Amino acid sequence: MNRAPVLVVGGGPAGLAAAARLADAGRAVDLVELRPALGGAYHRRPIPGVAPWPIGRAGEARWTRLAAGIERPEIRVRLRTGFLGVDGAGFTLLDDRTTGRVETMRPAAIVIATGAVEMVRPRSGWELPGVTTAGGLQVMMKETGRIPEGRILLAGSGPLLVALAGQMVAAGRPPAAIVETGDPFAHPIAGLGLLAHPGPLLEAAGHMARIFAARVPWRRATTLEAIEPTDAGLAVTLVDRRGARERIVVDRVALHDGIRSNDHGFPEASPTASALPFVAWAGDCREVLGVAAAEIDGARIGEEIAARLAGAPIATTSAIRRLAAARQAQDVLARVFAPARPPTPIERLPRETILCRCEGRTVGDLVDLLEGADAPGGREIKLSGRFSMGACQGRFCAHWVAEAAAGLRPDAPPPTPHDLTGRRWPSRPVSIAALVASNSSPDEPTRPT
Amino acid sequence: MASPSKLRIAIVGAGIVGVSTAFFLARAGVGVRLLEAHAPAAAATGAADGAVSVASKRPGAMMNAALAGIALYRELAAQGVLDGGFVSRSTFLVAVGAAEAAVLDGHAEALASAGVEVVRHPTSALARLAPALSPEAEGAIEVRGEGHAIGYDVVRRLIRAAELTVERGVTVRNLVQSSDGGLVGLDTDRGRIEADAVVIAAGGGSAELLGLDGVLRPRRGQLLVTERAPALNAALPGAIMSARYLLSKASAKGAPVSPRGYGLVIDPLRTGQFLVGGTRENDATRPIADVEAIGHVLADAVAMVPGLAKLRLLRAFAGLRTAVVDGLPLIGRAPGGDGVFVATGFEGDGICLGPVMGRTIADALLGRPATLDLSPFDPGRFLAGRVAA
Amino acid sequence: MTGGTFSWNGRDVAFRAGESIGAALAGAGVDALGHDPAGRATRWFCGIGACQNCLVRVGGRLVEACLTPAEDGLVVVSADVAEEIDR
Ligand SMILES: Cc1cc2nc3c(=O)[nH]c(=O)nc-3n(C[C@H](O)[C@H](O)[C@H](O)COP(=O)(O)OP(=O)(O)OC[C@H]3O[C@@H](n4cnc5c(N)ncnc54)[C@H](O)[C@@H]3O)c2cc1C
Ligand code: FES
Repeated sequence: MNRAPVLVVGGGPAGLAAAARLADAGRAVDLVELRPALGGAYHRRPIPGVAPWPIGRAGEARWTRLAAGIERPEIRVRLRTGFLGVDGAGFTLLDDRTTGRVETMRPAAIVIATGAVEMVRPRSGWELPGVTTAGGLQVMMKETGRIPEGRILLAGSGPLLVALAGQMVAAGRPPAAIVETGDPFAHPIAGLGLLAHPGPLLEAAGHMARIFAARVPWRRATTLEAIEPTDAGLAVTLVDRRGARERIVVDRVALHDGIRSNDHGFPEASPTASALPFVAWAGDCREVLGVAAAEIDGARIGEEIAARLAGAPIATTSAIRRLAAARQAQDVLARVFAPARPPTPIERLPRETILCRCEGRTVGDLVDLLEGADAPGGREIKLSGRFSMGACQGRFCAHWVAEAAAGLRPDAPPPTPHDLTGRRWPSRPVSIAALVASNSSPDEPTRPT
Repeated sequence: MASPSKLRIAIVGAGIVGVSTAFFLARAGVGVRLLEAHAPAAAATGAADGAVSVASKRPGAMMNAALAGIALYRELAAQGVLDGGFVSRSTFLVAVGAAEAAVLDGHAEALASAGVEVVRHPTSALARLAPALSPEAEGAIEVRGEGHAIGYDVVRRLIRAAELTVERGVTVRNLVQSSDGGLVGLDTDRGRIEADAVVIAAGGGSAELLGLDGVLRPRRGQLLVTERAPALNAALPGAIMSARYLLSKASAKGAPVSPRGYGLVIDPLRTGQFLVGGTRENDATRPIADVEAIGHVLADAVAMVPGLAKLRLLRAFAGLRTAVVDGLPLIGRAPGGDGVFVATGFEGDGICLGPVMGRTIADALLGRPATLDLSPFDPGRFLAGRVAA
Repeated sequence: MTGGTFSWNGRDVAFRAGESIGAALAGAGVDALGHDPAGRATRWFCGIGACQNCLVRVGGRLVEACLTPAEDGLVVVSADVAEEIDR
């Protein structure tokens, strides 16, 4: 049996739960987390001396359980260490920012539990300073206990905006307004489906009560169309359900149009048990189902990997049923927050709208690239158009570029976001000095044989 | 053969060679079918370094071809076809240590004897000329009049300029010939395509189509791209090539080299990024980079240009060059098989040679006189009797 | 680790123990972090190291302000402050 450790990537609920179950089965685990603290998106830990954001009794119980689960000798937690992928020789690469070295290892298996990234639809001005993702604002709040100064507008779609607004109200700094593309109250029947999922429903109800009490305007069926810098702040243009436009001025805008798997550059899940290293995905990066499901999924994958490595049969658990329930809840939420009016197709946004911020590529650049007799495919759009070619490696634009390309060339096979991003190491930019350091001392091999 | 404009011509492979051939035919008013298993520039052309250069060459047939290749790049740039796609600049061959300095001296003489403009720069001049170079550098020779072009970029521009369409996702399985050896066409996974003339420019895929196993061999190369660093970029006057590259690029091509040879070329790109290569690896067929090779190349690069240590790597990739065992490409009419042309085996020179070889093949198809002596590259040296069989 | 101050484009910025450079800058009212080497404005965006929009220069190297812990005495500048050329 391969006694090498299992690598767990990501210190959120899925990663922590997987690590705990692997350790239960007697497996050595290396748990790597890019950030300086564990917790992931939901259970993000505050800096010392700052109280954690209130997350309710169930949430606190979950964190206590997850944190206790990894307090064991089999688990080595490595913070500020990023997973770069698997190279052509089969080595797994870790970017250890505490030592400034890239390390190579050959784990028995890899559990990828890197969570989700937010989707932000391109709109005029989304690239400006003062504009963050809603999650990005929440990171700052959760870690520092502080909300940045000024009037903050939350815009886009989905339950996260409501949660964030509720948290801001609780902290005494209500947002200027919530601008929601969907029209949640227009779907009472669909909304009833949530009654089957009391946990999320109660949490949402708490946030809503706070938002109403604080009289935060909740502009439903309204879209944030454009952001412009002015001397007085960021001027945003809102379009309501009747198509009427309104301009308001705020200091900051937090955007959020849903979330999707954070899977860029990572190896695919192994098709067979004999593949080495065995790669499995867990939590939101496998399927976006939320925090409670991530813990269940992580535990399930941890058990499954331990069993596979031991050659034991895979036990059937209640996890699959519970994940199905979480999926149902997500479906209901998606219906409740469905856009009230179809959004403007990306390819029909104003030509100057930035699609790929890193490389400064616009809607117009894509339209020009795709016109003519010959329709380039996904990889050609990347290479020749420089879309998704920058430092974020397409994490924020590949999805939209693929969607717009499909809209512009219905005659050609639609590109996938992966055609644009690829699955190559390094999954994120890595210091050259750290790569050189990894090779510089052949007498001290960093790779177990 | 019939008048060229009536010919049904099929080109197999939309790498730089196939696309260049189609471009020159289209310019002469001759349409072609351009068949590609994946996508334009999906193989070597999309993974290449892009030196349009003779700096590492010895006088001979390949040097002459490369000089013609550079001249054509200039011509296409002047015509606006390549626009900013060809960057004219010098290559600096840099020596570290006395042994390399000696190699450089001999090399400079050889280049000059072939009519290449070469300038020698003493150690004392380097700090001013190329402030980013390590003080370890002991002299350099500057090879003038060459440049850089990115393979996939050239391919895209040629497709646009000639309004070509590429049939993507069409895999050619074999040539179809009649019992008397006459060309019928091609069998593909989408059915038969009839043709009066076929150009096999399928890179590594050509071996199977032509029955050339053992003649064409993959030689892998690994490269990397850094993030942007405009100031460091401006502190290098052109491509930096380690004089050690001359040793790695064994002077007689195709001669046995160690399984993994390292050379070093640092290309400052127009974007402010750096393209750094690379390896020459025999018989490695997975086009995926590994950290051992990339770490090694980077260590060499940082020794040459210390400022690179402060940058981040954005992408690492590997490509397969298609090499011929005797080190010379296969270009021209296949013996016996009437109407079958071959253009492959360019190893590490296809970006430089692609357009000029495309023009040469197009000229042959159009019945125009040859502007380049192809006899050293005659596919007949390996193909005699095979295609017609 | 305790809090302290670091230098941001020559001005002192206070931070609390464990705070990232980016969070400390936001606390000090700094939203516009400068320009990346491609010339585009930089800012805190995703907060999790994914978007690469928050690059700043520390010791000559670009790092994500949202991932990098602040340290006492650290010298941090905008990414567009030209890198020094090592020889
Ligand atoms: C790492 C590296 C560095 C290099 N550096 C340089 C350099 O600095 N300067 C330079 O001049 N050259 C360089 N080269 C070499 C150059 O890239 C190649 O010589 C050139 O791209 C060859 O072009 P091609 O069109 O022959 O082949 P390819 O680009 O390989 O194109 C062949 C095409 O045929 C398609 N195909 C294959 N089989 C079939 C089939 N059966 N049916 C349909 N389609 C098929 C493939 O998908 C591919 O698109 C380098 C190469 C590498 C790998
Ligand atoms: S804010 Fe996105 S990487 Fe730092």
